[in-house]
Amino acid sequence: MNTASHPAPEILSLFSCGDLPFFLRLRTGRHVRECAVCEQQVTALRSAKSELRREASAQILTGFEAIADWHSLEGDMLGNIRVGVAASRCIETVGRSRKLGTRLVWAVSMTALFFAGWMARVPTEDNQRIAAALRHAVGLDQPLIGTIVRSTPDGITVRSQGSALTILHPESAVISMSSPSSVTARYVDDDSGQVTITNVYGQ
Amino acid sequence: MCMANKLFFIRGLSLALLLANAASAAENGKWLDFQFPHDSPVLLVGFSESPMTVTPRGSSVVLDLHKSLTLRNVGTKPICGLTLRVEAQDLTPYGKGSVIKPSLFVLPGEEFPVKVDMRLMRPIAAAKTESAMVQVTLDCVLFSDLKAYGPDKLNTHRTLLVYELEARRDRQYLARMLDNGQLPELREELNFGIQDYGPRQLGLELLRGPRTATLREQPLTVSPMTFPKAPVQPLRGAAQVAGNEVRAPRVEVLNTSKMRVASVAMGWIVRDDNGEDFVAGAVTSPVAIGPVQTSAISESGTLRFSRSSGQPMVIDRLMTFVNDVQFSDGTLWIPSRSDIDSATQDPVLRRELATSPEEQRLATIYRRDGTAGLKKELKRVTLPN
Repeated sequence: MNTASHPAPEILSLFSCGDLPFFLRLRTGRHVRECAVCEQQVTALRSAKSELRREASAQILTGFEAIADWHSLEGDMLGNIRVGVAASRCIETVGRSRKLGTRLVWAVSMTALFFAGWMARVPTEDNQRIAAALRHAVGLDQPLIGTIVRSTPDGITVRSQGSALTILHPESAVISMSSPSSVTARYVDDDSGQVTITNVYGQ
Repeated sequence: MCMANKLFFIRGLSLALLLANAASAAENGKWLDFQFPHDSPVLLVGFSESPMTVTPRGSSVVLDLHKSLTLRNVGTKPICGLTLRVEAQDLTPYGKGSVIKPSLFVLPGEEFPVKVDMRLMRPIAAAKTESAMVQVTLDCVLFSDLKAYGPDKLNTHRTLLVYELEARRDRQYLARMLDNGQLPELREELNFGIQDYGPRQLGLELLRGPRTATLREQPLTVSPMTFPKAPVQPLRGAAQVAGNEVRAPRVEVLNTSKMRVASVAMGWIVRDDNGEDFVAGAVTSPVAIGPVQTSAISESGTLRFSRSSGQPMVIDRLMTFVNDVQFSDGTLWIPSRSDIDSATQDPVLRRELATSPEEQRLATIYRRDGTAGLKKELKRVTLPN
């Protein structure tokens, strides 16, 4: 390698750091030893590198000096953390209450809607049957309470466990009781001219 | 598919399945079944039926069943009355019904109609069984000699006997009027003679179990109404009354006869706050009373009264009378027409007490066919001596 073909500056920079491959480092080193210009550049690079290292060390020392009051800093940090945690808890509670309130309103609305729909659509007999089934399920069977036989303008009805039997009669029928547990309707049948008496018994 | 459409679809599908099931069951005769014992004096010889209607109601289904049976007297004695027992399997054993035909006079070999109109409501999801949902069975047949046939599970033999004795009493009463030429009196009797008269109609509810006291109960004295020749006389009585409800009525009676009494039917009259009297019916109590002895007859439960419109009826007064008495030898006493006439001065109440099923039937014939029709009918139903 002669002076006319100096290594490129980046080759010299890598040589100064010892980062060149083995054979290229041998050849560049022979050139540097024989070429004063390149030797001067390598020396300058190494000097700059040393300077950079020294300045970097000085800056690190200055940073540690800045946090020399470690206990004070720890107190500040813990304080900040506590404030943050407390604030987060406050926000979390506020949000949860709001969510709970919304869910409660939703649940109450849906329940009210369900019951309104149930009462409007489901007959009383079904409710009684469901209540009886529930009582039976939990072992609270009780004797029948309430109306057992009832007369209406078109018939006499006995109800039990969600079912109902009505013996029908015309509106002209005369209603009376025939025993402590039965109601009677009496009428003259228009077609046959005969008297018909219907009884409905409850227990 | 939105929720509304899904619900509509499900309801439609359920209804379709239900109607299909109903149609199938109707074809197989599973809704209604008739049972007459092989030795029965009456036989089912035919029936006509109106189309059964099936209507969904909530999670239940309502079945309207209408049948007109034709029965034939296949026995050797005239039939005077008959009871058919109606039992729905869903309500057994809590409730049942019956259809009674009193005041009959069906000779051997003759046919007569009996209509059975009923409505059954049951849950759609109720269990299906092999037997019919409604069973109509012969319960009791009363013959002209006052003997009976049938299991009499509803104890209607006694009821049929009372109706038959009342029928014979009223037939004789009207026949005597005709024979004596008392046509104005007959017209008054059967046209009721009172302007705008119509049977006073009641609404009734029978209640059971402990009631919530929404109204304050008040004791009410029960006023006895006596038939002069009655073998049992009501002495005094009491009941608890709250608004339109009567609870635990109790009446003390005296057996004035020399015979042992087996049962007494006490009739009840309710007077409302307008002063109108309503015959509420008669309740039979099995009570053994020796000659010249007293006994107390009481009823449990609660009876709620309303007008036919459903409006509650405020009870102002309760009256009781002895409707009929059965002695231990099986014979029955019923009040005579003169007993009824002398019991009260109120013509409307007297009329209501006297109106038996037979008089009701004969009055219909008189209004339709006149004196000639009544004579013909009385001749038809009068037993040959």
